Amino acid sequence: MNAMMKNSRVYKILLNILPVISILLFASLWQLASKNGGIIPTPLDVYRRAGRLLVKPVNNISLTGHIWASMKRVLLGLLAGCVVGIPFGLLIGWNQKCCDYLKPLFELVRPIPALAWIPLMTLWFGIGETSKTALIFTGTVMPVVINTYTGVRLIPQINIDVASVFGATEFQTIKEVVIPCSLSAIMAGVKTAMGTAWIIVLAAEMISANSGLGFMIIRGSDVADLPLVIFAMIIIGVIGAVLSWILTFAERKLCPWKVEIN
Amino acid sequence: MGNPNKIENEVAALREENKKRKIRTIVRGIISILTFLIFWQLLCTFGIVNDKVLASPIQVINAIFTKIVDPRPDGNILIVNILASFKLAMIGFFLALIAGLPLGLLMGWYRPVDKLLRPIFEMIRPLPPIAWIPIVIVLLGIGTVAKSFIIFFTTFVPIVINSYTGIRETNQVYINYAKTCGYSNWKIFCTVGIPSAMPLAFAGMVIALGNGWGTLIAAEMLASSSGLGYMILMGRNYGRIDTIIAGMLVIGLIGLGLTTTLRKVENRVLKWRLK
Amino acid sequence: MDTDFCRKEIMPMEGRNKLEIKKLSKVFINNDSFEVAIENVSLDVKENEFLVLLGPGACGKSVLLNIVSGLLKPTSGEVYIDEKLSQGVNSQIGFVFQNLGVMPWLSVRDNVAFPDKLHKVPKKKRYERAQKYIDLVGLNGFEKHYPRQLSGGMKQRVGIARAYASIPEILLMDEPFGQLDAQTRYSMQDEILKIWNQNKKTVIFVTNNIEEAVYLGDRIILFSARPMTVKGVYDLNDLKRPRDYTDSRFLDIRKEISNHTDLVIK
Repeated sequence: MNAMMKNSRVYKILLNILPVISILLFASLWQLASKNGGIIPTPLDVYRRAGRLLVKPVNNISLTGHIWASMKRVLLGLLAGCVVGIPFGLLIGWNQKCCDYLKPLFELVRPIPALAWIPLMTLWFGIGETSKTALIFTGTVMPVVINTYTGVRLIPQINIDVASVFGATEFQTIKEVVIPCSLSAIMAGVKTAMGTAWIIVLAAEMISANSGLGFMIIRGSDVADLPLVIFAMIIIGVIGAVLSWILTFAERKLCPWKVEIN
Repeated sequence: MGNPNKIENEVAALREENKKRKIRTIVRGIISILTFLIFWQLLCTFGIVNDKVLASPIQVINAIFTKIVDPRPDGNILIVNILASFKLAMIGFFLALIAGLPLGLLMGWYRPVDKLLRPIFEMIRPLPPIAWIPIVIVLLGIGTVAKSFIIFFTTFVPIVINSYTGIRETNQVYINYAKTCGYSNWKIFCTVGIPSAMPLAFAGMVIALGNGWGTLIAAEMLASSSGLGYMILMGRNYGRIDTIIAGMLVIGLIGLGLTTTLRKVENRVLKWRLK
Repeated sequence: MDTDFCRKEIMPMEGRNKLEIKKLSKVFINNDSFEVAIENVSLDVKENEFLVLLGPGACGKSVLLNIVSGLLKPTSGEVYIDEKLSQGVNSQIGFVFQNLGVMPWLSVRDNVAFPDKLHKVPKKKRYERAQKYIDLVGLNGFEKHYPRQLSGGMKQRVGIARAYASIPEILLMDEPFGQLDAQTRYSMQDEILKIWNQNKKTVIFVTNNIEEAVYLGDRIILFSARPMTVKGVYDLNDLKRPRDYTDSRFLDIRKEISNHTDLVIK
C-alpha cells in the first residue's frame, strides 16, 4: 500500500471498523460453539446467570461480598509485602555491606514460584485466612524487593553527588534523594506484585475457601455451572483491569515530575 | 623523576583494593548462606521447632536422594515427576512462542492486524491464567492437553506484549534509512523491525517462562497425578515436610535453570546488543 | 540568635590564596589497564578571583573539580582550603554541575532551598532565602515549576541559584553552559558576571571554550589533554570589564592561547 492510500479517509474508517468486526466474529463463534458443543454456555446464558446471582447468592454471600473477600485478602497481603519489601529493598540497594550479606539469601528463595509455597503454607497455617495472607505476602514481597533494589541502583549518581556536595548526611540523602528518585520503580514493583497477589488469591481460594471469586469459580465448576464460572472470570478480568488503572493513576499522582512517554 | 614509579605504585595499590573488595563480597555471601543453613539445622536438631513443622536441611537432602528411587508418597520417583512437569512446560511454552512471537511482531508492525486482533487480546489479557483452569478442565479433562493449554495461556500473553512493545520501539532512524534504500515494508519488517524487537521479546520470554513454570505447579496441584506440583501436594497430604521442601527446592532449581538457559541463548543470539 | 542563616564573610586579603592544589594526580583503573587522568598538577586560587580552567574536552578538568569538591579522592597530592588540608566533602564549596544536576522531583523553589533543607533551616525562612536567589538569577515567577517544564538555560540558572544559596566561600562551576545553545550561552555569561559582581566570591569555572574563558576570567589556567598538566597561566586582570569579543586585545589573547593549546577548540 502506498502512502497516499494509507492516509485516505476511507482507509482510516476501514481500520476503525476492524475491531468491531473482530468482536462480532468472536461473539458469533462463541454462539456457534455453544450451540454445537452443548456444554459451552451462550453469552445469553451467562448474562442470565449473572442476573440470578444478584438475587440468589452463592454460599449466602452476595457478589459484592465475594469480590470484597478476595480484595481484602489481596490488599492485606500486598500491604504486608510492601511494609517488609520496600525497606528491605532500600537497604540492600543502598548499603553495600547489607547487600553482600542479605542478597544471597534472597536469591536463594527467589526462584521458588509463589504458588509452590501453597503446600508448605497450608501445612503451617492451616487453610484459614492466615495461610492465604502469608502466601500473598510471599508472592508480593519478591517483586517489590527486586524493583526497589533496582530502583535504588539506577539512581543517577549525579543526584547523590548533589546531596553530598551540599553536605547531606546519609540519612538525609536517603530521605531526600533515594526515596523520591526510586519511587517510580517502587510503584512498578507494586503493580507487578498486585498482579501476582491476584493470581495467588485465586489459586488459594480455589484450593480451600468458602468465599471469594476463586471460590465462586470452583463452586461453579464442581456443579458444572459453567455460566457462573464464566461470569466469575469476567468479573475477575474487570477488577484486574480496574486495579491496574488505579495503580497507574496513583503513580502519576505520586510522581508528578515524570515525563509521560508515549 | 621518580614519577612513573609512583604512579605504578598507586595503580598496584588500587588494583589490590579492588580485588580485596570483590573477595570480600563473595566471602560475605558464603558466610551468610552458611549461617542460615547452620541456624536452620540447629533449630531442627534441638527440637526448638516441631519436626512436624520443619524439616532440617539434612533431612531435605536425604529426601531428595531417597526420592530418586522411592516412589512414595505420591507414587512416582523423582525423575518421573521432573520429566512430567518439564514436558508440559516445554510444550506450552513452545506453542506460545510459535503463536505469540509472530503475532506480537505482526500486531506491532501492521496497523490492520493490530486493530483486528487487539480487542480479543485485551479481553484475554487481564484474566489470570489460574482462572482458566476450572473451565479448561471441564472442557478438556485433566490430561496433557488441558495442562499444556493452561501453560500456553500463561506464556502467550507476556510474549505477545513484549514483542509488540519491542517492535514498536524500533528506532525510526533505522526505518527511514531502510526506506531510502528502497526496501519494501515487508523487508524493513524483517531486516530492521524484528531484530530491534528481539531484546524485549526475549525479556518477555523469560517472564513468560517464569510465570508458566509457576502456573504449571499450581495446575498440577489442582488436577494431576504426576509432576512436581502434585508431588509437593502429596507431601502435604501425607505430612512429609521433607518432601515438600525438597520439592520446592527442585522446583526452584529447575525454574532457575530454565531462565538461565534462556538468558544464555539470548546472549548468543543477540551478540550484537550493546550492554 | 541567628537572625539570618549567614556565614561570616571573611575579609578579603589581597594576594591570599583561597585554595591551593599541590602535586595532584589521579589515576583511573580499568580491568587491564590504567589511565592517568591528572598528572602532578599544582595551582593556586586567589581570594574572590574568577579563575577559569581551560582545556580540551575530556582532559580531566571535571575530575579536578570533583576532587576539589571532595566527591573524588586524589591518587596523590593535596588540596588546601584557607591553608588547611581539605579531606572529603566540604560544605564551604558550592558546585554547579555540568549535567545540570537539578532534581526533577522538586520544584524550582525546593531545588534552590535544598541546601538549606539539609541544614535544617525552617521552611518559611528557607523559602524566603530561596526567593532571593531565584530573583537573582531572573527566574521569579517560576518558583513552583518543575524542571521538566523549563528550558536548558533556565535549569542551569536553578543550579546556579542553588549553589549560591548554600553561601559557599568557593564556587565551582563545571562547564555549566556546555549544554546550552549559543544565544543562551552568551546571555548566561553576562548573567554570571553580574551575579558575581553583586556577590563577590571565589569562582573556579571550567570550560573548553577559549572565548568564554577570555570573556569571563581574571586568570586562565590552560591545561593539556590527558594526562592533564598545567600548560600555562594567563593573567587577564589588565583586560577591562565588561569585555568585548571583538576588541583587538581580546582577540590577541585569544589567538595566543589558541596557538598554545593541544587541540583546536571552538
